[in-house]
Amino acid sequence: MSFALVSRLIEQVGATPAGSTCLVSVDGPGEVEVVATWCDSTGNVVLAVHADAVEIHRGRVADPIAALPEDRRPGYRLWIYTNFHCNLACDYCCVASSPRAVPRVIPVDEFGELIDEAVEAGVRELYLTGGEPFLVLDLDERLTLATSRLPTTVLTNAMVWTGERRRRLERLPREGLTMQISLDSADPDLHDRHRGDGSHAKALAGIHVALDLGFNVRVAATMGSDAGTEEEKLVALFDELGLRDDQRVVRRVARQGVANAGLSVSRASLLPEVCVTADGVWWHPVAAADPAMKVRDSWRPLRATIDEMTDELRAHRLRGDVLASTFPCA
Amino acid sequence: MSEARDELVVGAVAYSANVVPIWEGIRDYFRDSAEPMDFVLYSNYERQVDALLAGHIDLAWNTNVAWVRTLRKSGGTARALATRDTDQTFQTFMIGRKGGGLEGLPSLAGTRVALGSRDSGQARILPLWFLERDGITPKDVELVIFDSDVGKHGDTGRSDLDALRAVTEDEADVAAVGSNTWGALLAGGDAATADLEVVWESEHYNHCNFSALDTLDEDRAEAWVSHLLAMDWDDPDQRRILELEGLRQWKRAELEGYASLTAAMESQGIADGW
Repeated sequence: MSFALVSRLIEQVGATPAGSTCLVSVDGPGEVEVVATWCDSTGNVVLAVHADAVEIHRGRVADPIAALPEDRRPGYRLWIYTNFHCNLACDYCCVASSPRAVPRVIPVDEFGELIDEAVEAGVRELYLTGGEPFLVLDLDERLTLATSRLPTTVLTNAMVWTGERRRRLERLPREGLTMQISLDSADPDLHDRHRGDGSHAKALAGIHVALDLGFNVRVAATMGSDAGTEEEKLVALFDELGLRDDQRVVRRVARQGVANAGLSVSRASLLPEVCVTADGVWWHPVAAADPAMKVRDSWRPLRATIDEMTDELRAHRLRGDVLASTFPCA
Repeated sequence: MSEARDELVVGAVAYSANVVPIWEGIRDYFRDSAEPMDFVLYSNYERQVDALLAGHIDLAWNTNVAWVRTLRKSGGTARALATRDTDQTFQTFMIGRKGGGLEGLPSLAGTRVALGSRDSGQARILPLWFLERDGITPKDVELVIFDSDVGKHGDTGRSDLDALRAVTEDEADVAAVGSNTWGALLAGGDAATADLEVVWESEHYNHCNFSALDTLDEDRAEAWVSHLLAMDWDDPDQRRILELEGLRQWKRAELEGYASLTAAMESQGIADGW
């Protein structure tokens, strides 16, 4: 351990009031490790590592991850993009899916390995999305496997359940599986404007098919700035369909994919939801085609991936805590 | 009582360990003045207001909420002597996610509004009053409340941050945040702020002040305030204190800046206490 560095740490951190931060200059990864070890043994916290300095918080801090509800912590939920191609080409799609999109299907063997690691890593529930997941012909096998290990939700537009896909749909387990079906409005206009002519009627029919087959159905609406008072009408439809509160989702369009308007999102402003695609791991499923939101090229090992995302969230939260607490009103 | 003491005693609330070096610095600055002072720290503003009214201290460094309460409990006889320049330009911002299409208070009808602690002027009391002034009652919105660090009157910034995070966690559409907290996050380069925007900002109002009762000798008060106002940004030692305390220049208090909070606390029935 470098005597000069430790002396500097004692001097600088010692002169920093508890709850405040200081920057200690370092020369290379070796010194960063010394600082981390020293902080750990003296009750201080490394907030951030910069190119030539380490930002240190004087005193221990409560773990901001522990303050989150369990189901909002990274790794509670695992999102899997089974594929990216879709029978629709919604004009707000956050990952630019369409019939022309490269499918990028996760191979079935890898899917199985991912589920195994998810269970091992303590994941509590799975969300499968796309693209339109039911375009993957063997989705029924994947869903059967997934639901045998963890509660699973699959997002769908409920429009492709015909022929062989309908027969496979009927064979799916009911226990542990939720069909989350997209429906953006009670009347066809708004829905069809963004998702394609005739898609509202088909989606509504799909909802009834799923309900009639005994599936647990959740209906999810995505609304943009032109939604107006559509949400009120949608609530009336939800009531008519007999949906409980936990079977209703209304969310806003994010400015991602092909959406040219919508909510601005980034890693810093979203709680991470670990999301695996054929291309790698992403911070959140709403931005699984945005290079800035890519965490890793490979999900393996999943536990380490979750830990990495948790550490990034923790560092950002700690920094925000310190910044907000600098209110000089003594 | 104050005449019997050699030094004026100033009360302040220890909302953070950082306040100790600030008050030690201010005490040192007054050491060779006509009115040397010492300080006493309290755990919360209610305790400090009671101490001022009981004559345990001569001056109290009060938040705006503590000042309104002091004035009320003293029967209108308390005086606000001095304030920071930054206390005269305080604001509340309503912060939402960029691209959410919200602009102005009327646009918040039907949305989820996150508010801070019940004793925070900037994050709870005034935002509710500003909303009602624009015709938005609590029944017109879904309030998401964060009663964090109650007793500190919002000084720790904790409830502002909790409210702001409710926006990034999709638990709220907008958050009421004090201009100090929003400014600190922007100045510190908090990356989440890039996805957020001010959808409404209040007019300026006043925040902290040095409060005293009318029993404090006017000559002593004036001597103390005059020396305080003479603190010089260009003097390195004095500048250190000013920077820590978040101002460039001390000012005489102007009471008009407390009108909105006074009205808010009276309309919400919290002028005397909770």
